[in-house]
Amino acid sequence: MPLDTSTYSLALLRLDGRRWNELRRLTAQISTQVAADGSSYLEMGNTKVMCTVAGPSEAKGAGGVRLGNDRADIRVSISIAGFSGVDRKKSGRNDKRLMEMQHTIASAFAQNLFTKLYPHSTISLSIHVLSQDGSLLAACINACTIALIDAGVPMHDYICACTAGSTSSYSSNDETADPLLDLNTMEEQELPFLTVATMGESDSVSVLIMETKVQVGRLEGMLAVGVDGCKQVRAILDGVARARGTKMLEGSRM
Amino acid sequence: MAITILAPAPAEPIYREVDPSEDSDNGGADLEGDHEMRPTKRAKHSTFSIVTPGEVVTDDAQWMRGHGTYIQPGSTEIIATVAGTIQKTNKLLSVRPLRARYTPEIGDLVVGRIMEVQSKRWRVDVGAPNLADLPLAAINLPGGILRKRTETDELEIRTFFSEGDLLVAEVQSLRQDGSASLHTRSLKYGKLRNGVFMSVTGTGGGGGVVRARRQVWTIDTMHGGGKVDVILGVNGYIWISKHIEVAGGETAITRMEESISATVYSSQNEYIGPETRTEISRIKGVITLLVEQGFRVDEDMVMKGYEAAVTVDDEDLGETNVYLGGAKGKKVVDLLSEK
Repeated sequence: MPLDTSTYSLALLRLDGRRWNELRRLTAQISTQVAADGSSYLEMGNTKVMCTVAGPSEAKGAGGVRLGNDRADIRVSISIAGFSGVDRKKSGRNDKRLMEMQHTIASAFAQNLFTKLYPHSTISLSIHVLSQDGSLLAACINACTIALIDAGVPMHDYICACTAGSTSSYSSNDETADPLLDLNTMEEQELPFLTVATMGESDSVSVLIMETKVQVGRLEGMLAVGVDGCKQVRAILDGVARARGTKMLEGSRM
Repeated sequence: MAITILAPAPAEPIYREVDPSEDSDNGGADLEGDHEMRPTKRAKHSTFSIVTPGEVVTDDAQWMRGHGTYIQPGSTEIIATVAGTIQKTNKLLSVRPLRARYTPEIGDLVVGRIMEVQSKRWRVDVGAPNLADLPLAAINLPGGILRKRTETDELEIRTFFSEGDLLVAEVQSLRQDGSASLHTRSLKYGKLRNGVFMSVTGTGGGGGVVRARRQVWTIDTMHGGGKVDVILGVNGYIWISKHIEVAGGETAITRMEESISATVYSSQNEYIGPETRTEISRIKGVITLLVEQGFRVDEDMVMKGYEAAVTVDDEDLGETNVYLGGAKGKKVVDLLSEK
């Protein structure tokens, strides 16, 4: 049992030694690939993802037809490396989970980016998952945000994501269950959890996905913890972007 | 056996948290005194400020918003939309991104690649969000500058430029959606050959090609490389080629067009000696190094970098090696920083 309720209630420590409201170690790098318009590498605990942005560049429809859109089209492709998980799974191109993640990310950024500034063009985000340990969608969203900042695409604010769960499973129907922040794989397998993404420092939620069952009474607490976690994530990502910017400006002063 | 547990080391050096209470009129993020980054002479003028998306630049209603900012309906706060530096032009407040795709401006010298050939125009990739147009009417047709465009020219459009050809051109006008229309109606512009292409992505803010007084110049290279031309396109596309002496210096100025135009649209490379090739790749290495280090790329920096690279290369008595990676690249950077 990944989160033994009996031991958790004694020490209030999770399996990896965190408390309920602690994020895993979150590190990120910007401009990791020189050839891309924007790129990033992000680690949330042991979840490691890489994101590259191409564009905005001329849109090409099927057969080279110029698309007549008055705004930029956002395309997301996620590829999960075979070695990234515990068991080596081959995911097909029509993996429904992947398609849902791609759609979620694309629609979140379509709202956030100023796509009207780039008529009939395409912004393509390509995400490579190198290692999975929970909060995969959240890691992908965070990596996309800083890659888009690197690419210099105008946006309303950072979209920052994290997961939130609850300390006991749905079936145990425990009214006193505490919320948890930033779950790893083992916790995700057992416990109800949701992925939430917010716009910057505000409380406006841009992505909210939950695939597990939970009593509605617990949802509010989980959501509050998740939104709070997103703010912590924003502070970290902002620091990364600023550090990179400072370094670039130092170089140009030659 | 004793077991020691090492604390995890961060993958990146930990950034210094900026205290939001130190907010200044520039909208916070005063990064003064970041001495740990580069303790050299540059520390004294590091009074610049970076804003990141979502950050309120100012809530003063006297400012007008420019590029890289937006105003939420019903408020006066100007909010940044890109990560970059604040620029004030009179009462116009804009944020210049640190890195962004090229946005064409009239008069820019650009290097481009033909992507499509249409009936009366070419579509050129200049690294901008949209492809640029090069109308058939905007090129120098062979046989005199004043010749009228004919139907034969339209049929033979691929003899001037075909898909994949590289050219240097100037931005003549901009359309409503921000895409550019180019022209090559000058002897400075036209098809490129005898050289090597490189792309430096992300102009703006820090590194990359900057708009300068001179974008095209000739380097007299060392080690018998002869003269090498460098064209720095403002869009970050760069062309480094063997310098070809313009033949027919004695022809009258009015007849120059005719004598040159015969070779202008040739795609045939001339013979380039191994020494010249070495120096061309050395210049390319220097530019790559400048970009990696986040330095700006302009005539001054490329010349300094080239001199430094030659000096470092002459120091090792071994075989000539133009690769500027690792220890050698570091030496070149050190030499550059000293100057």
